[in-house]
Amino acid sequence: MPAEGVRGAQVAGGDSPPVDADPVLELRAATVAYERDPVVEGVDGEVAAGQSVALIGPNGAGKSTLIRAVLGLVPLTSGSIRVLGRAPQAARRQVAYVPQADTLDAEFPVSALQVVLMGRYPRIGWVRRPGAADRQAAAAALAQVGLAERASARFGTLSGGQRQRVLLARAIAQEPRLLLLDEPFNGVDALSQDLLLAAMARLRSAGTAVVMATHDLGLAHLACDEVCLLNRHQIGFGPIGTTLTPELLGATYGGHALQLRGDGVIVARP
Amino acid sequence: MNLFQPFTIPYMQRALVEVLVLGALAGAVGVLVVLRRLAFVGDALTHTVFPGVVIAHLLGRSLLAGALAFGVLTAVLLTTLGSHRRVGDDAALAILLTSFFSLGVVLISRTPGFTADLTVFLFGRVLAIDRTDLVQTLAVAAVAAITLAALHKELVLRAFDPQAAAAMGYRTRRLDLALNLLIALVVVAAVEAVGTVLVIALMVVPAAAARLLTDRVAAMTALASLLGAAGGWLGLAVSYEVSVDHDLRLAAGATIVIVLVGLFLLATAVAPLRRRLAARSQVAAAEALR
Repeated sequence: MPAEGVRGAQVAGGDSPPVDADPVLELRAATVAYERDPVVEGVDGEVAAGQSVALIGPNGAGKSTLIRAVLGLVPLTSGSIRVLGRAPQAARRQVAYVPQADTLDAEFPVSALQVVLMGRYPRIGWVRRPGAADRQAAAAALAQVGLAERASARFGTLSGGQRQRVLLARAIAQEPRLLLLDEPFNGVDALSQDLLLAAMARLRSAGTAVVMATHDLGLAHLACDEVCLLNRHQIGFGPIGTTLTPELLGATYGGHALQLRGDGVIVARP
Repeated sequence: MNLFQPFTIPYMQRALVEVLVLGALAGAVGVLVVLRRLAFVGDALTHTVFPGVVIAHLLGRSLLAGALAFGVLTAVLLTTLGSHRRVGDDAALAILLTSFFSLGVVLISRTPGFTADLTVFLFGRVLAIDRTDLVQTLAVAAVAAITLAALHKELVLRAFDPQAAAAMGYRTRRLDLALNLLIALVVVAAVEAVGTVLVIALMVVPAAAARLLTDRVAAMTALASLLGAAGGWLGLAVSYEVSVDHDLRLAAGATIVIVLVGLFLLATAVAPLRRRLAARSQVAAAEALR
């Protein structure tokens, strides 16, 4: 689609928000509850094309639940979530999700390239097999995360960081307009971290919006320009520089936050 | 031992076609059973088709039709009950297995002279299969094979990464139902040949052996089908040879399973060798890149 290319070029050109006013993701007082127990409530915010938001909060804050809600896998009890102006279920083709690599069976008999190819399945459709174009797209995605020469290695034989890169490559092969990642830097080596960050930056400059759950504030600074602070309810949502304040971090983590320097913030946990 | 001579006899020919088709199909479906760790589902299905077989016998209908009805019913109930958050897969399996099997026992206990048929149900009678049985098996196997081919890549995706499959928009519960139905079809197709006790071996043993020998789902599927068919062929030939030439009666179905387990043991012996070779070629590839 040429329209997306134009938008991407504008985003890449500078820090100004994209001209296209319609947000990729729009949350309005979004609340998810399991059997009347709210897991996460009152999340409000917008994510535009090419923008990146870090979901920050302690374990059990509702980060994963919020991601599942954006995927349309858990229903909202109140409020609304719109993805590209549609209900989440209707927008799944435009959304890619990157789970934590260590949740997957390391013994499963698939190669790195086959995992990436799975990202093409929705557009291949039932019955049919991946074609040459799909293989090319998968190989290109794998090259983008620096793993072209490990294409035929079994997924489980790769390092944790490499596996996470394969999963990001699968998302790239989906050609998403919204990318959701759950703790993508957990147990990831420095090289993989750099390659993940670079690949995510490329996606953003092509106009993909990124939402990333993380507990690493340093990486949130590197990867994102906005932040959503969560602890069962939304504590703050806004530009990272003005939102990651000691007060709001204290509210998010229950008073165990500690600020170091002006930019980097380290959270001390009990 | 002669691998071809016994199959000049018509009943042995029918048995051969039956075990080749079943072995290949059960091997292919078994790959998903092994990857999803669903062996117990197959095992439960072998019990839950029992009342269907009894009812079909009482009504004088085809045993396969009765088994099919209860197999499908089990697959549906298992998927719906198992997805209930407070029941879970294992409890759903246990409930279905015991209740359906009890129903079969209650029905059978009211029927005099069913013992002979019960033996058939438990251990199969591959050598007594007639044309109609064979055609029925082939029809069920064809439906299963087509379904498997159509849904294969999605079933593998769901087995590997259920979260991502759901995020991509696949309805994982429907995929689970499809796989449970596939397992049911294999069990039903194989009940008359090898009996309910042994059918699970046909699904799990070749796939488990193939798993030891390869790192690719496609290769594993081809290998499991090949091993399943080869085990069936070899088992029939062995049971014929021993029964006819040495006058020791060896049940064909059981012999097939023993041969399959033999092939599995062979695979466990070969697997470390293969791994060493794979490791060596990886080191060589890494050095070549340098």
